[in-house]
Amino acid sequence: MTDAADGTGARNYPLNCWYVVATSDEVGRALLARQLLGRRLLLFRTEAGQAAVLDDQCPHRAAPLSMGTLEGDDVVCGYHGFTYAPDGRCVRVPSQRHVPYGAQVHSYPVTERGPFIWLWPGNPALSRGTEPPDLPQLREPGWAVLGGSLEMAVSYLLLHDNALDRTHFPYVHPHRIHRGYVQDPPPLQIEVTETTVSYRRTFTPAPLIGWQHDATGLAADGEYTQRETGTFVSPALHVDEMDIIGPDQVYRGVFIRAYTPVDAARTSIIWRAARNYAQHDESVTERLREVYLGTMTEDQPLLEAIQARTGGAVGYQVSAAADAAAIRAYQIIEAMLAEEGGRAFTRWHGTRRD
Amino acid sequence: MSPGEAPSAAMLTVFSERRSDLLITAREERAEGVVSLTLADPSGAQLPAWTPGAHIDLLLDDVVRQYSLCGVPGDQHHWRIAVLLDPDGRGGSRLVHETLQAGAQVAVRGPRNHFPLHTVPRYIFLAGGIGITPILPMVATATEAGADWQLHYGGRSQASMAFTDELAPYGERVSLWPQDSKGLLPLDEILGNPAEGTLVYCCGPEGLLAAAEQRCASWPAGALHLERFAAKPQAEPAAGAGEEGPFEVVCQRSGLTVTVPPGRSILEALEEQGVSVLSSCQEGVCGTCETRVIEGIPDHRDSLLSEEEREENEYMMVCVSRAKSERLVLDL
Repeated sequence: MTDAADGTGARNYPLNCWYVVATSDEVGRALLARQLLGRRLLLFRTEAGQAAVLDDQCPHRAAPLSMGTLEGDDVVCGYHGFTYAPDGRCVRVPSQRHVPYGAQVHSYPVTERGPFIWLWPGNPALSRGTEPPDLPQLREPGWAVLGGSLEMAVSYLLLHDNALDRTHFPYVHPHRIHRGYVQDPPPLQIEVTETTVSYRRTFTPAPLIGWQHDATGLAADGEYTQRETGTFVSPALHVDEMDIIGPDQVYRGVFIRAYTPVDAARTSIIWRAARNYAQHDESVTERLREVYLGTMTEDQPLLEAIQARTGGAVGYQVSAAADAAAIRAYQIIEAMLAEEGGRAFTRWHGTRRD
Repeated sequence: MSPGEAPSAAMLTVFSERRSDLLITAREERAEGVVSLTLADPSGAQLPAWTPGAHIDLLLDDVVRQYSLCGVPGDQHHWRIAVLLDPDGRGGSRLVHETLQAGAQVAVRGPRNHFPLHTVPRYIFLAGGIGITPILPMVATATEAGADWQLHYGGRSQASMAFTDELAPYGERVSLWPQDSKGLLPLDEILGNPAEGTLVYCCGPEGLLAAAEQRCASWPAGALHLERFAAKPQAEPAAGAGEEGPFEVVCQRSGLTVTVPPGRSILEALEEQGVSVLSSCQEGVCGTCETRVIEGIPDHRDSLLSEEEREENEYMMVCVSRAKSERLVLDL
C-alpha cells in the first residue's frame, strides 16, 4: 500500500489507531491547516467548542478549505462558497438551489482529552467504542506539566526504537545519566501484551546526577534508589516514568511523547513532561525543559542520519538482546499494518512473518 | 561520566508477559455451569488494548488457565471472561467457580492473541459451548465493520448456552443449535459451499474443530481459523521412530548452543542456560513461545500451525516441538 499523498513510498503506520494531531490550545475559531498522516487536515472548533477535523480540500475544485472562512459551525470555501457542516456534509452551493450529489468532505473521528486532540485516520466504524490512551498525569491535580512540540525528519518507527532503547544513553546522553546506567546495570525487564511493550528496571542506590539534584532538591551526597519504566502504548504514543525514591516521597517524572507520522519519513512529536514535586517552581520547570528537549535534540542528528541512510526500513543487519522491546513493538505495528493491507488469507498467529 | 564510557557489565534482558493483579468487579451466572467475571484495575487505570480473539492467563495458585476475553472490544476499563465448570477437568475451572468472588483480586497475564479476526467482507462463525467466548467480541467487531456474517452456535441444551441474551439483538444472523432439541450443527450445510472472501472462525470442543477442519478441506488454504482449548490429539509416532534422541539448538542472537536431551523440552533446556523465552501453556496450544527457525527441520508437535506452515518450517513452538535434524538454529 502506498501513501499517494506524500510520495515517500509505502505507508508504514497503521490508520486504525488514535493519533495526536494538535493540542487543545492550538485549535479554536480560526481554520488551522496541518499536514499529518499523509493527508492535509483542517482543524477548527464549532461554536459549542467541539473540535472537528475535515480533509483540507474542497471536492469541487480542490481549493484548500483552510483558505476559506468559518461561518457559525460551517466551513465556507474561499473559491466558490461551497459550504460544509462539521461532519463534512455539503450544506450549500451558492450558485444553485440543490447540493450536487456526492459533495462531501471526509470528516474524522476526533476525541479531545486533556491537552490533546486525538484523531482516528482509519475506518471510522472501527473507532466506535474505542478510546485514546488515558494520561492521568495530564488531567489530575498534583502534577506540574511542561511540554512542547517539534518535527524530525525521522520515521516514527525509529523514534519508538530510540524510546525503547536504554543502551544508547551512555553514548548519546552521557552527561544526563546517573552511575547506575553504566555500573552494573540491572536486568532490563521487558513486558508484553497483545498491543503494548514495556521495559522496567530498578537501580541500586547511587548518587544523583546534576539535573536530578537541581530538580528535586535532594542532597547531592546522598544515594537514592531509582526506577525507570517506559511503555509503547500504541504506534502513536510512548510514555516513560522515572522515579527517585526520596526519604519523604517518590519523585516521579513522566515523559509523554505523542508521535504522529507526517508521512513515512517525518514525524511530529508533541511532548509533555509531568512531575509530582516542585509543582510551582518555575526554575525547576526550565531546568527540566532543557533536559527533556536536550535529550531529544541530542538524538535528532543521529536519527536523521540513520533515516537518510536506511529510508526508515527496519530490516537491520544485526540486533542485540537489548533490542527485544523495539522488535516486539515492530511486530505489533506490522500485525496492525498487515491487517489493514487485507492479508487475511495468510494464516499466522500474531507474530511477524518476514 | 565521560562520553562513551562503556557499561562495566553486560545488561541482562528478561522478556515476559505483562502480569497484573486485577479486581473482580462482577461475577454473574450466564448459563448452567458458566460464570462470567468482570475484571478491572484496582486503581481504575486504563488496561492495555486488545482485539477480538485475545485471551488472558489466570494465575491461580499453582495452575495457569487461559480464558478468552469476551467483553466489549475497545473497553479498556473492563475485561470479561467466562468460565465453564468442568467437574472432570484439571481443577482450574473448579478453582475459579469456588474461590473467585466479586471483590476479590486475581493475578492475570497478557492479553495475547493467537486467534485474530482478519478484515474480510464475510464471516462464518462456529461456536460450540463455552467456545462462544472469543466469538462474542468478533461478531461485535464484524457488525461495526459492516461485514456480512452468520453465527452457528451449538451447545448441549439451551440452558447450557451462555450469552444467548446478548446475541438476541443480532436476530437471524445467529442460529442456536441446542443438541437435545435440534441435534448437532449441520456443518455439511453450513460449510458445503466454499465462498470467496469468506473466513470461517471456529472455537469449541475438539469434535467440532475436527469436523470443521474436515469440511473446510475444500476451502481456500487459510480460510479456516480455529482456537483450541486443549492440545490436539497427536498421532502416535510410527514404530521404530519412537525413540527420542538428543539434538542441538543454536541460539543465533545470543550465540549460545544447548543440547536438548530426551524427555526435556527445548524451552526447559534453554531456560536452564539462562535464555529466556516467552511461554505460557507449555502444551503447544497458546502460541506464546513461537520462535523463528533459521536452520534445521523441526518435529512439529503443537496444535497451532497449519499443514502449510509445518511444511515451511519457518516457525515452531519450542515448548513441545522437537527436531528431526540433529541441529536447529533458532532466532533467539
